[in-house]
Amino acid sequence: MIGYYFSLAMRSLRGTPILSALMVAAIAVGVGASMTVLTLNYMMSQNALSHKDEVLFAVQLDSWDPNASYRGDSNLTRMPWELTYRDAQALLRSDTPSRQVAMHRWGATVTVDDSEMRPFIGQTRVTTRDFFALFDVDFLHGGTWEKNADSNPAQQVVITRKTNEKLFGGENSVGETINMDGHPFTVIGVIENWNPVPKVHDLNNGAFDDSEAFYIPFGLHRKLEIFSWGNTNSWKHEEDLEGFEGFLQSESVWIQYWVELHTDEQKQRFENFLTSYIQEQKAQGRFERPLKFGLTQPSEWLVVNEVLRDDNRVLGWLSLAFLLVCVVNAVALLLAKFLRKAPEAGVRRALGASRNAIFTQHLIESVCIGILGGLMGILLSMFGLSAVKSLAMGFADRIAQMDWLMMLSAVGLAVVASLLAGLYPAWRISRTSPSIYLKTQ
Amino acid sequence: MLKMHNVRKSYRTDTIETHALRDFSLEVNEGEFVSVTGPSGSGKTTFLNIAGLLETPTGGQYLLDGQDVSDLNDRDRSRLRNEKIGFIFQGFNLIPDLDLFDNIDVPLRYRGFNAKERKKRIEKVLEQVGLSARARHLPAQLSGGQQQRVAIARALAGEPRFLLADEPTGNLDSLMARQVMELLEFINEWGTTIVMVTHDPDLARRAHRNIQIVDGQVADLRLQSALGEAVTA
Repeated sequence: MIGYYFSLAMRSLRGTPILSALMVAAIAVGVGASMTVLTLNYMMSQNALSHKDEVLFAVQLDSWDPNASYRGDSNLTRMPWELTYRDAQALLRSDTPSRQVAMHRWGATVTVDDSEMRPFIGQTRVTTRDFFALFDVDFLHGGTWEKNADSNPAQQVVITRKTNEKLFGGENSVGETINMDGHPFTVIGVIENWNPVPKVHDLNNGAFDDSEAFYIPFGLHRKLEIFSWGNTNSWKHEEDLEGFEGFLQSESVWIQYWVELHTDEQKQRFENFLTSYIQEQKAQGRFERPLKFGLTQPSEWLVVNEVLRDDNRVLGWLSLAFLLVCVVNAVALLLAKFLRKAPEAGVRRALGASRNAIFTQHLIESVCIGILGGLMGILLSMFGLSAVKSLAMGFADRIAQMDWLMMLSAVGLAVVASLLAGLYPAWRISRTSPSIYLKTQ
Repeated sequence: MLKMHNVRKSYRTDTIETHALRDFSLEVNEGEFVSVTGPSGSGKTTFLNIAGLLETPTGGQYLLDGQDVSDLNDRDRSRLRNEKIGFIFQGFNLIPDLDLFDNIDVPLRYRGFNAKERKKRIEKVLEQVGLSARARHLPAQLSGGQQQRVAIARALAGEPRFLLADEPTGNLDSLMARQVMELLEFINEWGTTIVMVTHDPDLARRAHRNIQIVDGQVADLRLQSALGEAVTA
């Protein structure tokens, strides 16, 4: 019977094209507006590391000013999101984590010898070797650098597939040389394109920016005087520290730090290590706040870093409220349409249709309107997301796009909305007395 | 086939209670062709609606084919209506945007027949009413008489044992009315019990039995009741 009801619904929609179009439009506008906002929220809430959520932890140490908030608000207990260089170096000495990554954002002018390519700024991540294994980044060619390159200078670079195509036409470029700020770097690996949205491994430096195209060893800082190209926050006036070495030894926080811990025991040992380290630093006059550190899973890290802000959530609820208004309009239109068909419902009742059958038939007509509204809503959402991209001038390009799940959700939302809209009109027509219409037709 | 005993039906508004049927008792036997006449507002249509399970009586007992249907729920009433009762209306009541085939298909769909069975039955009844060639025409493309024949075909498709006709010739000219009446007589000869409400005394006389309804009661019973009251007084 469901197939029969669908065919009746389509026939009914074709029979009243203008009214049907109005109802589809009402649902589509509501779904389009809602899905535009919900898609943005959904994309902002994605966790590309969800498959390792139980074993990855972002590390925080509370080395901040005891008398001021990290973010300039009244919250004096909030820890900085990044570490100082010296703390990162100290943590790297621990052999407890299965893998650990200290890293930050950098950039360099990239050239290739004997190439007609014009120099360009290459977004670069300065990191320890575990980066690729810890974040499950696959290699297309070659591999990562040796462990000693994390502490000793080795001018080696790993590039992305996209960069490899740009610089070397997609050929295996392992062994080739590129110049970064005039320094020669040997390509030792090519990774698959890896571009998580949001950039959960580094939310401080444009959570929705593209991931870097070049990856170089952490041991190069002193040799090349690599400063941070990302967020660098400082709270202490340190007159005695000068030059690049002074920067490395300062209380400025600019290093993101991640560890991979597989067991509770391993985690406990690392926590003990951090506790000992902080106590040791306290004894030297650092870490003036109460002893505190953070080991935060990726999913929680997105929350801590407020990737999806409260105003985004409010906007999400407002968009659903708008959808509700559209549903109310659809209720009125459906009621008008269904009651106009009451005589037909009367005939069907006389011929053996139960109230439930009439109710189901009309509810399915609502569902058809919902499916059509959902499909049109997807188009409107895409238009809305294009508008967001255009207004954001490139900053929202990676989040203002619908995936299949959101497209299916749009249709699902439209069907739920149309079911809600159709409940009362379908109930009303199923309760009308058939005898009235049979005599008066 | 049909047995009503002291059936009552009243409609209540805020200020008035109208008694459409009062202690209405009637028995129609299997295979009978009964005509029902009476002045407008006498309760003929209310009787037909209750007989056809479209309305529930306020009181009394109604046995259809030996089964007490007075207190059945909507689902069971609908099933019985679909399986045992066929309706023919004065206004034909064909669904305007369905062609003849699909109109006749409606009760068969609710019966749950498969596509093959439905097609067989539809083609059979269309042939019986002489409209096989018009199966894919819309009702509006037919004359009134043809539309009523389609309505009869739709009523017959489910092979009901009981046919209720509410002024089936009321909207037809005399020639068409005669054709429809002959068709009903033919159907009755096959064994289908027919109750037909009509204003036309000539048509009423062609039935096996005529019943008059006046003021919500069968006329002769009402007379007996009045006489009884007079004796008591």
